Amino acid sequence: MTAKPTAPRASQPLGVGALLLWLGGAATAFLVLFWLITLILRQMPDPISPRADLFVEGARMTLQLTLVAGVIGLIVGVVAGIQKTSGLWWVRAPASVFIWLVRGTPLLVQILFVYNALPPLLKSIGLDVQLNEFWSAVIALALNVGAYNAEVIRAGILAVPRGQTEAARSLGLSGPKTMTSVILPQALRIVVPPLVNNLVALLKDSSLASTIALLELSLAGSRVSAETFMPIPVLTTIAAVYLALTTVMTFFTDQLERRLKIASR
Amino acid sequence: MKKVVLTLAALSLLATAQARTWTDIKKSGTIKIATEGAFPPFNIMKGNVLTGFEVDLANALAKQLGLKVQWVTQPFDNLLIGLKQDRYDFVIASHGITAERLKAVDFTNPHYCTGGAIVTKPGGPMNAAALKGKTVAVQVGTTYLENARKVPGIKDVKTFPKDTDAQAALMAGRVDAWVGDKFTGIDLVKAQKGKVVQGDLLFKERIAMAVNKGNASLLKELNAALAKSMSNGTYTKLSTQYFGTDVRCK
Repeated sequence: MTAKPTAPRASQPLGVGALLLWLGGAATAFLVLFWLITLILRQMPDPISPRADLFVEGARMTLQLTLVAGVIGLIVGVVAGIQKTSGLWWVRAPASVFIWLVRGTPLLVQILFVYNALPPLLKSIGLDVQLNEFWSAVIALALNVGAYNAEVIRAGILAVPRGQTEAARSLGLSGPKTMTSVILPQALRIVVPPLVNNLVALLKDSSLASTIALLELSLAGSRVSAETFMPIPVLTTIAAVYLALTTVMTFFTDQLERRLKIASR
Repeated sequence: MKKVVLTLAALSLLATAQARTWTDIKKSGTIKIATEGAFPPFNIMKGNVLTGFEVDLANALAKQLGLKVQWVTQPFDNLLIGLKQDRYDFVIASHGITAERLKAVDFTNPHYCTGGAIVTKPGGPMNAAALKGKTVAVQVGTTYLENARKVPGIKDVKTFPKDTDAQAALMAGRVDAWVGDKFTGIDLVKAQKGKVVQGDLLFKERIAMAVNKGNASLLKELNAALAKSMSNGTYTKLSTQYFGTDVRCK
């Protein structure tokens, strides 16, 4: 038995094992980060140390919000992005209207709308949906980031040379098959950096969920600052925690980008 | 580079500016007062006009002191922080006197007495015992938050940036009750025409104006002006106009 010669790493598609490893690594890194943050904040002077756990709880909520909304937003973005590139107007129209609405209104208004206006509106058409703070924020943030992702993914699809489609079609692949097996794999590689951009922006935008009393990092900060009248240490702390969260996140997305690189460049 | 250093120096000077004493204020002829402007009927923006019982009272006090007024509105949880940075001379925004706040600022004699009331939809919790296992909405940085937390067995206390947001949460059925000022509660019950009812008072509190810690000369003048307004009928007239009764502390 001789081992098969392995191809160079760069041209290998990302296997399931590698992806799981990456996810596991990211999860471990965040657990370590939270442990570190707790440790450091407990050493801080007065307004911070007695309330260290409140900050960590807030940071955990911020991260949870970002991940859940980010995943849903990616799915929304892929679906709407593909719809936008369709040749049929009735497929394009719903995606265009959705993007027009979401990009044209402030996120703050969207969060308040989902929280305060959506349940009564749904009730009036006979749907009794109870959205708690967390899911209200997730829906608003996911739709918001989804609209931005859709435009990014559309740009990615358009960036794949036309020749690719023509070649796939002339080899007898159907339209949908061409999209899933030839165009999207290439398009998604192109759009990793702008998608990461949106994800980082989403983590910071999640602070707007403080307006609907969701105890995330920035609301944890305002509670402490309102209680102690010491805005400087509190604001410095929450800024530092946000920075730590985005730093760890971008470290892992950079890894992902490197793994997804094709041998072309 | 020199410019940068100069700017930084100027900024650090600004940051350590002393609170304006009574003499400084008198010399400038204008007093800077801060309030929230989202707390009817005490201080509320009606369109572009700041009005309410506390706003009228502060204007009357400034008039007695022979000063012009410059109003500043700020989010409630920022008011005392801004006062500590001397962005204005005093704050009148229905601050209850608490030990925690007294560490940061000095309070005048109380300009009215009130309490934290429970407001709920008909059939909801009407007293502290009924709040067991229930969720309430309050405004961040208020005494209602501290006191609601003390209720034994309460399930959750949600904090909102403004009282109006906390009330909206009650109206949308997101919480079982709202805890806030009893007079605001009366107004809310009136405005919502029977959709909500007012329950018991959770606690009583004395409400006063705040000046920066150690600004004794301004404190003295404000107390004197307040006492004068309470004895010459100005206070009674304003109080009757807003509440139909005299709300001073008995």
